[in-house]
Formats: sequence, C-alpha cells, structure tokens
Amino acid sequence: MGRIPKRAFALAVSAILCLGCGKTEDSLPAAADASVYESPEELYDKALSEDVLIVYTVSTRAVDAKDSFEKAYPGLTVEIRDLRSPNLIDAVEEDHEKGLANCDVVICNDNSGDFKSRLVDTGIVLPYMPQDIGAHMKEGMAGEMITFLSEAELLLYNSARYDSCPIDNIWALTEQKYRGTIYMPNPLRSFSTYAFCGACMQHAEELAAAYEKYCGSPLEIPEGMNAAEVFWSRASENIVFTNSSDEVVEALGSGAADFGIGVSSKLRLKDLGYDMEAVYRLEPFCGCRTSVAVMLAADSPNVNSARLFVRWLLGEADGKGEGYKPFCTAGTWSAREDVADGNPVPLSEIDLIEPDQEKLISDREHMEAFWSGILRQNNQEK
Amino acid sequence: MKKLIFPIILLLFLGGCGSKAQPSVLRVALPWSDMVQDPDSNYYINWLEERTGLELQITLIRQSRSEEYLDALLSSGADVDVVMFGGDFTISREALEPYIASGQIWSENGVSSYDNYGSSVRGGAGQILWINHEWLEALGLPIPSTTEEFKEVLKAFASNDLNGNGLADEIPLLGCCDNYAEDPAEFLLNAYVNNDSFHSRFDPADGSSLTAGTSAWRKGVSYCRSLCEEGLFDERSFSVNEEQFCELVNSPLPLVGAFTTASISDVIYPVNPEVMARYMHVAPLKGEDGAAYALYAEDAPAVGAVILGRSTRKEEAKKLLSLMLTEEASLIARYGEEGVDWEFSDGRDVSIYGDASTIVTRSYIRNSPQNKHLNGIGPMNVPERYLRGVTWNGLNSDAEYIDGRAQMSYSKYLPEHIEFHEYDPELSAYTDEWLKAFLKGEKDIRSDEEWEEYLNGLSRWQ
Repeated sequence: MGRIPKRAFALAVSAILCLGCGKTEDSLPAAADASVYESPEELYDKALSEDVLIVYTVSTRAVDAKDSFEKAYPGLTVEIRDLRSPNLIDAVEEDHEKGLANCDVVICNDNSGDFKSRLVDTGIVLPYMPQDIGAHMKEGMAGEMITFLSEAELLLYNSARYDSCPIDNIWALTEQKYRGTIYMPNPLRSFSTYAFCGACMQHAEELAAAYEKYCGSPLEIPEGMNAAEVFWSRASENIVFTNSSDEVVEALGSGAADFGIGVSSKLRLKDLGYDMEAVYRLEPFCGCRTSVAVMLAADSPNVNSARLFVRWLLGEADGKGEGYKPFCTAGTWSAREDVADGNPVPLSEIDLIEPDQEKLISDREHMEAFWSGILRQNNQEK
Repeated sequence: MKKLIFPIILLLFLGGCGSKAQPSVLRVALPWSDMVQDPDSNYYINWLEERTGLELQITLIRQSRSEEYLDALLSSGADVDVVMFGGDFTISREALEPYIASGQIWSENGVSSYDNYGSSVRGGAGQILWINHEWLEALGLPIPSTTEEFKEVLKAFASNDLNGNGLADEIPLLGCCDNYAEDPAEFLLNAYVNNDSFHSRFDPADGSSLTAGTSAWRKGVSYCRSLCEEGLFDERSFSVNEEQFCELVNSPLPLVGAFTTASISDVIYPVNPEVMARYMHVAPLKGEDGAAYALYAEDAPAVGAVILGRSTRKEEAKKLLSLMLTEEASLIARYGEEGVDWEFSDGRDVSIYGDASTIVTRSYIRNSPQNKHLNGIGPMNVPERYLRGVTWNGLNSDAEYIDGRAQMSYSKYLPEHIEFHEYDPELSAYTDEWLKAFLKGEKDIRSDEEWEEYLNGLSRWQ
C-alpha cells in the first residue's frame, strides 16, 4: 500500500472498477491513469449529485476558471480559497491529518520541493490526467505531478524609469545605488523565490564567474560560504523584502522600486498600467523556471466534480476550453503542445536556470538557516 | 507529623461542612456579533474569568442604537454592571456625557470609560479608492491615474454590459453619505486640493487655510458634478445608507465599478472573498493641475466599556476592565489564542506595513465567525508595534493585508507635516450641505452667483 492513504487508494480503485477499465500505467498512481476515460458528460452527470467543489489555489486566476466552469456546467458550484503556497500546503496537510475532507482540487506552485515532499510523495494529493488531454501535454508535464503551466521567478525593472534594463550582470544588484529599490518576496514564505534562491546555490560557480566578468577580479569567498551566499548577502542589503509578488509589482508601479524579483505571471498586470518589463538576458541568469501544478486531493468527497474541473483547467481535449485561457497570459508558458505560450518570448530565449527539486529538499535546513540570518538582520534594521 | 494533622483536619472540616467558595459574579452586557460564536465558551471570556476569578454573566445586546439601549437599561431594574461597546454598537464620548453627569455611568478621577485602541494602526490614509479590476481587464484599460482617465474608465463601465446579464445595471461609481470615507466626492476633491473633511476642510499643512472656498475646490466640485450629470457618479450615493451601499457592492452579480472606504473590510463582507478579489486599490488620482493628496486619518480610541453608576460590584468591574487593557489581554482580544492563532515573530517574516515583524498569525480569525475573542468588542490597548508588525497569513482575501498594501501605496500622498484644525461641526455641516447641493444640481457650481452665495456663508469661518 505504501504511502497512499487508504481512502485515496479506495477512491482510485473504485473509479477504475466503476468504469470497468483496470489497465493502469505502472509508473502512475491509479487516479492519474490516462487509459481510464470518463467523458465530460459522464463526469457532469455524476457531479450533479455531489457537493460544492472546494479549490485551494495560489492563483487568483482560478476565480475566472470557476466562473466559466459554473456557466458551462449549471448546477455545479465551485468555492475558491486563495492562499499563499506555504499556507496552502499547511492547510491541505492539516485537513488530511484531521480527516477533514475540506478540499477537492489543489493548484499550487511546486517549486520549493515542499509540495512534492509533503503532499505528492505522501499521497495527500494525486494526479489526474485524462488520456485525451495527456496526449497533448509537453514532455515532463504529466507524471506524478501535473504541471499545467510554466512560469519563472524573474528579474523585473521599472520601465517608467528606464527605457531598457540598466544592468547586464546580476552583480550590479549589489551596487549601493540600488539600496532600498530592489523588491523581492521573502524566500522563506514564497516558494518560487525560495526556488530561485536555492537554484542560485546550485549555480554558485556561474555566479562566481559572472562576478569576475563584472569586476575584473575573482570573487573573494569567505570560508564556509559559496558565491551564491556572497551574492545574496550583499544584494540583501539593497532588498526590501515583501510578502508577495503583488507587492513587488505594486512597488514597481508606484515608482518605489528600480527592480523587482517576482513571479513572471504578474507581467499580465502590465495591461493594468504597471510600468515594468521583464529582464530576459542577464549574466549569468535572470531567474529560474517555476511551474504550477494541479492535483486532486486524495480525500476529495467530490471526485467527479474535481475531475471535471481539472479537465476544465487543462483546457479540455482540444485545448480550447475556457478554463485554461485565464492562465495563458504574459509571463506564462503553456504546458500543452497545442496551446500557444502566453508570453511573447519563449523560455528557450531567456537566461533561466532550472532548480533541482531533490537538491532543494536536501538543502532545506541550510537554506533556512542562511535566509533566517539575513531576514532577522533585515528585520532588526527597521 | 503531628504538626500536619491539625491543619489537615481543619481543611477537611471546612471543605466538608462549608459550601465551596463561589466566584463573584459580574454581569456584563455585550453587543451581539455574528463573528462571536458563543460568549459562554469563548476563549477570551474564559481567560478573563480565570485571571480575575470572576464569573462573567453575559447578557447579549441585540440592537445597535446605544443611547436607546442605555436609556432602556437605566430605566429598568436590569442587573448589569458593565456595558461593552464595539462592532455595530458604539457610542461617542459626547453621547456618554449626560449619563456621566447624572451619575448613571460611573466616573472616578476623570475616568469614565475604558478605551478600545486596537482595531487598526494609528494614523494613515483614511480613504482609499477601490476599483473593479476584473472590469478593467475585460475592457483592456489601465488603472486610472488622473481624474480625466478615471472619467473615461467610468464611462466604459457604464456603457458595457460587464456583468453580462443583458441589462445596463452597472454602477460605475457608488458611495454613501453616512461617513466621509465612503463618499467618493471627498476622495475626488483631493485631486484638486487638500480636502481634509475630517477637520472641516482646513488644510492639514497649516491648520488654518480653509480649502473649501478655493478655486481649486470649486474646480474639483465641478468635476464631481460632471460625473453626476453623466450618470457616472450614481445618484443613489446621496440616498442609500451604509448598509444598502454595502449590499450593492457585495452583490454576487458584479454591479459596482468603484467605491471608496477607509478599510476594504468596512464594505466587503469577510465571508465574501470572491467579491474581495474583484477590487484593487487605486493610488490617489491627479487632478487637472497635477495635485494628488491622500486624506489623513488618525483614529481616536473608541469607547470600549463603561461601568454603571448603580453597580454594587464596581471594584470587580474595574479589575476586569483594567485587565482587558493589559498587553497580554489585548493581544488575545486582537489576535486570539497565543500559540494557536498567532505567535511572536522570530524575525523571519515581513510585516504587512513594511515595519519590523512582531506577530505571525497562524490562523487569522478577525472578522470571521470564531470563538477565540470578541472580534474587537470591549476595551483593549494593542501597542502600535504589534499593530504595525503583524505579518500576512497568506490568505489573499485577508482584508488587513489588502488594506496594508493600499496604505503603503497612499503613504507618499499623505501630508508630511500635520497641523490639524479642530473639527467644527457647524462649519462641516455647512460645507457638506452645499457640496451635496452642488453635486445633486440643486445649486449650480458653475454659477458665479451661487458660488458667491456659498462663499458669503463660508466667510463666517474665514
């Protein structure tokens, strides 16, 4: 039985048995079985006898998906609970431990390793990938986790103040002239920021080489530190830590910030008049790739509604469904081969690094200690 | 051993023949709140009972008219020692005066009430403009930054069926006249002149210049009138009360494009996160001459509780209310149970207001149905470092986080040096009345004669 809870196992088995189709891909839990086909009509029919669908999400765009879903499927009601990633994971985990079936679908940033280690590996959330949609997913998007959108934690600059990005090397962010004008979410509270900071540790040598290019001399690295830690120690003196990327873009919009480090999907707020642009080219990198996962809660009491909603979010079989559209905006990249990226610049043309999730999980203690020191120092100086 | 026998026998004797000492009973009248589930089992009430050794017998007040309630209570023989205030049941100090003078409310050494100082940070923008960003996005329009752009946005709100019901029922801009914070005209006038309605429209920069008679103020009123004429500033704003105004904003079918308030939670119900998600703050708008001010407000502490003059348990009452003003009690009253609902920050978090973090909320229970505290009712004194140092609980619909971000955006528009003029009710009534008449078209703001008539009346205060 392993790590999958009894109830989730029973749910998955019963789903297979009910449909009379027991063939399961060996590598995937049953709930993710792409060979089990349930048409939207079949799911809708069964969902009508279920309760309100509860979605825990880190993205406010889920509200748009809810609206179109409720219009498409009269009689079904979705309740959105919009939470920050760490709080979402705490809530799902706590519900599960208490045996509370409070949640049906989870939409969460899966970058820090917490989502994987605490919810996926423990079987608290399960993948669901219908075959007719799975055939259109990009490589690596549908496995033990269903990644339905790629994003990035990215350097942004104030486009009202600068016609083009005023820096070409990341070490410029440590210059004193930018003191108090770089805004970044607290990496211990923002998973995507944590992923970027953690990925920097994994690319410390590139940072050291970039320093030499920037300053013309090798970086002096104190014993017990690496180049990434030196970089963040220096840059943090200039950084205003925030609670979220929303505050970062608001600071850019109000003119308080020269630079921001935040989640790329906030680039959609440019349409609302925020003066900011993404930095796509920077020595040695301008951010890291991140992603958003959608999963079924193993304890979901409304499994048919949940599956129908996941189909909706994934854009249905042809990718043209209304549920995926709110997510395909500037700063996002499609997880489907048949749906165009929301961002005009493809991921391949952006200097992004890729965080190694297993390393993020194993480095957790060290990262927490390092960032706790920086944040406490920052807090004391206020 | 012998030494111990006698006291033990004595204790057994006393314990056996006497009844167990009963705690003193204190009868407390507490305003009913749908955010407090059961006062009898409420964590804070129980904590207060344990700390004071008193048994608090709670009588719920199920009305909002505090003076009517006090009159009825005092003319009855009801056995109540303490009356608490808060939520919808509030009273001003002025309204308390006659009761104090007659001795119906206890007073000693100038102290007649116990304050409530803990609902919000002290000092900041007292009026924020909120706009329906879903409608902006649907129209592909940017957030307005000038009064001219704002008007164009309101026109677009009015002329498109943005809620998709096939009816032209969208309300571009709505307010109510119950208080200044919810009157959009007050906000819009700040795009022309420092329109400090909380201080009878004297410029807070010097405390002596009356801005309500300036040409810039007239220009602002003229702009507001044009919004009324074009049906953008909804005429219901002059007739609805706060409750009706809130009902319209909270409609499940989006109806309202923009409104103003001090705190988003004053208007949007906490159980309505999806409505909360519709709105975002807009920084103070710039007027035709580039002016942009934010209205500064510094909340005076509210009356938290009083002791009735006829109470025979005044010492017990004082013991309870004094305890409620301590830091330990106030933190429970504001944030709930330590270690469960909140904990002291270890310095790794970021405060909502950008200050040093002090409080981390694990479960943000304010303004939601709970049984940990009285949801702001009663006396408390939360130190500023906690109010400003509270961190975000991660819930995007957390009203305090939404307010905090708006406050940070408005901070640079607040006056740097403040010299408030004392609020003059007569002057305020005069300007309020004329402003309303100008906006409704009962007086013509563009008519020099009527403007002169207004100025003549205003000259009494200049």
